[in-house]
Amino acid sequence: MTGYIIRRCFAALIIAIGVAAVVYALLAFTGGSPAVAALGTHANRYTIAAWNKTHGYDRPLVVQIASYIWNLVQFKFGYSYKQGQSVGALLNENAGRTAYLSGTALVLALLIALPLGIAQAVKRNSPGDYVATTATFTLYSMPSFFLGLILIQIFALDLHVFPALVSDNVTTTWEAVTHPMQLTLPIVTLAGLTVAGFSRYMRSSALDVLAQDYIRLARAKGLEERFVLTRHLLRNACLPIITLIGLSIPGLLAGNIITEGLFNYPGLGLLFFDSLQNLDYPVLLAYTVIGGVLTVIGNLIADIAVTVADPRIRVG
Amino acid sequence: MAEIGAQQMVEGIPPFGSPNIPTTAPEGGDVQILASGWRLALREFFSNRLAIVGLGVLVFFIVFSFGGPLFYHTNQSLTNPLTGDLAPTWSHLVGTDDNGFDELGRMMAGGQTALEIGFFAAFMATVIGTLYGALSGLAGGIVDAVLMRFVDILLSIPLLFIVLVLATRYSATVLSQSLIIGLFSWQIPARLVRGEVLTLRERDFVAATRIMGGTQTRLIIRHLIPNALSVVIVNITFLIADSILLIAYLGFLGFGLSYPTASWGDMLGNAQNAVTSGYWWLVFPVGGCLVLVVMACNLIGDALRDAFDVRLRRR
Repeated sequence: MTGYIIRRCFAALIIAIGVAAVVYALLAFTGGSPAVAALGTHANRYTIAAWNKTHGYDRPLVVQIASYIWNLVQFKFGYSYKQGQSVGALLNENAGRTAYLSGTALVLALLIALPLGIAQAVKRNSPGDYVATTATFTLYSMPSFFLGLILIQIFALDLHVFPALVSDNVTTTWEAVTHPMQLTLPIVTLAGLTVAGFSRYMRSSALDVLAQDYIRLARAKGLEERFVLTRHLLRNACLPIITLIGLSIPGLLAGNIITEGLFNYPGLGLLFFDSLQNLDYPVLLAYTVIGGVLTVIGNLIADIAVTVADPRIRVG
Repeated sequence: MAEIGAQQMVEGIPPFGSPNIPTTAPEGGDVQILASGWRLALREFFSNRLAIVGLGVLVFFIVFSFGGPLFYHTNQSLTNPLTGDLAPTWSHLVGTDDNGFDELGRMMAGGQTALEIGFFAAFMATVIGTLYGALSGLAGGIVDAVLMRFVDILLSIPLLFIVLVLATRYSATVLSQSLIIGLFSWQIPARLVRGEVLTLRERDFVAATRIMGGTQTRLIIRHLIPNALSVVIVNITFLIADSILLIAYLGFLGFGLSYPTASWGDMLGNAQNAVTSGYWWLVFPVGGCLVLVVMACNLIGDALRDAFDVRLRRR
């Protein structure tokens, strides 16, 4: 067990390093020169060469990658020449608001998808199941910005309940937490997409559990149906949630770019979006690498948590 | 599906690994010729009502996008702000957009690029992934381990991020965007094919091919890939759906096809202003097309998966 966890962590570390190396190399081959970003498009090639030399961009790619990874380990993410501050500071400034948005969306998605998926499995092939399946399938095939636009049309423009854009007054994480009306539509938009994947997964997972012998035994010994559902079905059907939370990270990160862009909510997604338009490659590089590393960590947690939680899965 | 080609059969000797086929026909009518796996799968697919719906929607959009402009002539190249943002009328069935382009005509043009990019990116990802997975699975050992760790690495980089970053570097055409998406979404087919190859390579017909002196290339192309094709075909439909969604995200964020080429995502890029200005016809019809096409691909994919899954098959 411990051996498995150590081996799994080691593999994750290798993959995380690989992610940083691949993304750095991709940007080095295709991305704009950092010297041009720092010195402007009119700089002549001698100044650019001198600048590259002082900043280490004339070294072989492998050395650059190694030093970039070494800096990452020390939480040095580089310097944004376009914005004139360190990438670390920029990320740090926005991380709280994005974490709040993603966290609440994830919790909301779980609160909806979990009971929905189990209810669908228990009442399978009923009209309610068909309606829910159709709804989640539609949501699953919908780009998140379109869901956001529909919500804006209904709740902001027709009903005037929530604002269509997050107010400019929401600048700190604390203000985001204390202005639930401002954040409702972004959270629901981000959660909607997550619910679609989660509930499909929960339904099939609960169906698997319902077919197990221990459910049949519980019923055969005369246990009331509600105890069968709460004590036997619920606990076992909840196992895949751990996996789902771990695996939902890339979706949430991508969803953040769209949702924050759509609702103009200042977070990492909006920072990424702005950096795309400014061609601010150090920020793009850092956030892509961080996204990749978070995905690796999510997979790792999902794998380990399932092994710990489920005694049936004990890998040697 | 483990038939080795009859042309390879040495006269009189049954093919390696196949059960001894009696040379005389058995008495009575007890021999049932089962339909081949493919025909069974097709029959299963067409008995699935949702699959028919999905196929119908997809065919409709192919006809709508590529055939529609032949009958519904619109000007999609010259802007005319004077006729911009008109509500739907008989002369403009879905109204006009900010530039005065007819929205229905633009939806058709956007459908063309969406389908082209979706199909091309999915095709490319599938070809790369299939070859990569087959090679990796066949090589085994350390080569396989290294190749698969590389897949793990690429799979961990959020696709939208890397595609967006690369989209800032290249001029956006149907070809360049398909290439970018295709080059970064072959990991799943690679994994699937490798998994299939790992089980297939222990089978007798693979040993037979090797014993008869078949080359590695022949083994991969003639035996392994055809046998692993069902998982690949199921995956291709999901790849198309994902690519169409991804291209819509790119367009929405402003990194879609270069103007004036139409794409559904680009048309929705300004959607927020359109919604707040009350120009609903610029948002919901296009978005509806997008959702329907993606949903159709997902429905077809689900049905194909059920059809190819022997365990679920009704006999």
